[in-house]
Amino acid sequence: MKPPQKGFLLITLNQSPSLWDFELIQRAMVEYELQGHYWINHFSIALDELASAGLINRIGYRLDDGEAIAKDRLLFEFALSDFGRQRMLDTGLLDGVTTND
Amino acid sequence: MSLSLDKALHNHFQRSQRWGFTWALWTAVLWGAWYVPGTAMWYEEPFVSIHSGDHGMRLAATAVMTWIHAVVVLLFLVIWNGMLGKLRDYGRTIVRFRRISKWYALASLCGGPMAIFGSYMAMGYVGPVFAAITSLFYPVVGAIIARLWYHEKISGRAALGMAIIIMGGMVIYGPGLFGEIDISENYAWLGYVGGIMSAIGWGAEGAVASRAMDVTDPDVGIQCRFSFEILFWGILVLPMIYLLTDLPIITLLVDMLTSPMVMIWMVLASIAHAYCYTSFYKSFSLIGVGRGEAIGNLYGVFAVLFVMAFTLELPEWYFVLGLILTVTGSFVMYREPAENISTLREVKS
Repeated sequence: MKPPQKGFLLITLNQSPSLWDFELIQRAMVEYELQGHYWINHFSIALDELASAGLINRIGYRLDDGEAIAKDRLLFEFALSDFGRQRMLDTGLLDGVTTND
Repeated sequence: MSLSLDKALHNHFQRSQRWGFTWALWTAVLWGAWYVPGTAMWYEEPFVSIHSGDHGMRLAATAVMTWIHAVVVLLFLVIWNGMLGKLRDYGRTIVRFRRISKWYALASLCGGPMAIFGSYMAMGYVGPVFAAITSLFYPVVGAIIARLWYHEKISGRAALGMAIIIMGGMVIYGPGLFGEIDISENYAWLGYVGGIMSAIGWGAEGAVASRAMDVTDPDVGIQCRFSFEILFWGILVLPMIYLLTDLPIITLLVDMLTSPMVMIWMVLASIAHAYCYTSFYKSFSLIGVGRGEAIGNLYGVFAVLFVMAFTLELPEWYFVLGLILTVTGSFVMYREPAENISTLREVKS
């Protein structure tokens, strides 16, 4: 069974040093067979929540020139944080030692 | 270019902050609204004929009512997540019990049996005003647990705002306490224990649920939480009461389900409760457990306002003072720079 959507975003981010939000969103939409603006915004909010909680860090940002999602939309580049990696271990999204915390 | 980029960034954080506070405010409005049908239910059969001293029967009726309530709440959450297209994510989340959804099960134990039961104990053995006041302290518990457990940042502003809101709540309910506390009452300690249980239960619920929301969706999370609550009452508590006591669980169940008035109040209460809790959970992931719960505390104000709207009885003058305090406390919190709450925790990056 596929992981919960936020879990998929974390797993995907763990496979690269960093990714832009539109890249993550695109991969998630392919994975869960979804399309349309509603889901783009849905995954954007999920990324915001992950960043607020400290599981991922915003390491860059720029305005969309119209090629990613929509012109002048703010885009973020994310990287998984140490805490995010620990949470992935704790929640079984990543194999390894858990803190059980 | 750089200026508009910075502005876009600021707008982004501000939007997030505004949504977080908006969800928290909806929690308070709907929680306040819930009190009208939630209280009205007690004036219908079978509740109205249960003697106030018959504690066993009262608790049994409460357990049955809480179970039916949770089932109807779940129905409204299924509609909500169905419309949002999140039902499949609910499935993916709830099956991961050992690592993820167990936290929602624990949250349901904290918010359900512990907090609700505690609150009923406080109401029954001391009085409703005492119950309302002790519940006001739940954001303090939530913020402390979130702070110690996963390092949620509690800024000076957030703490000050929270303190002012709690004070406002105490001004609204406090004066009613004088007529209520009776130190000669032998069982009053049960009420005090209940009051503490409700503050700890609701406070802990937010912190525990947030632990699971780290990796799952809040809308999905709340549906998991109520699924576990239904199981808890339905396959554990009610069967135990049925088997171990001679309280008429089945009769209570049938009486409630066949009473049109009880079911009308139940449906109204459940709509309010379902979307109150949805807003509650959504606010945590945007502004944190401490702030979300503190703004949620404004339910005290909205409860008085809704009761006023339905009974057309004006509240006492000190309500205005309490209102001013709670609104001031909310603004102290809301005026914190949006960038400050773009990351809610002090964690290793």
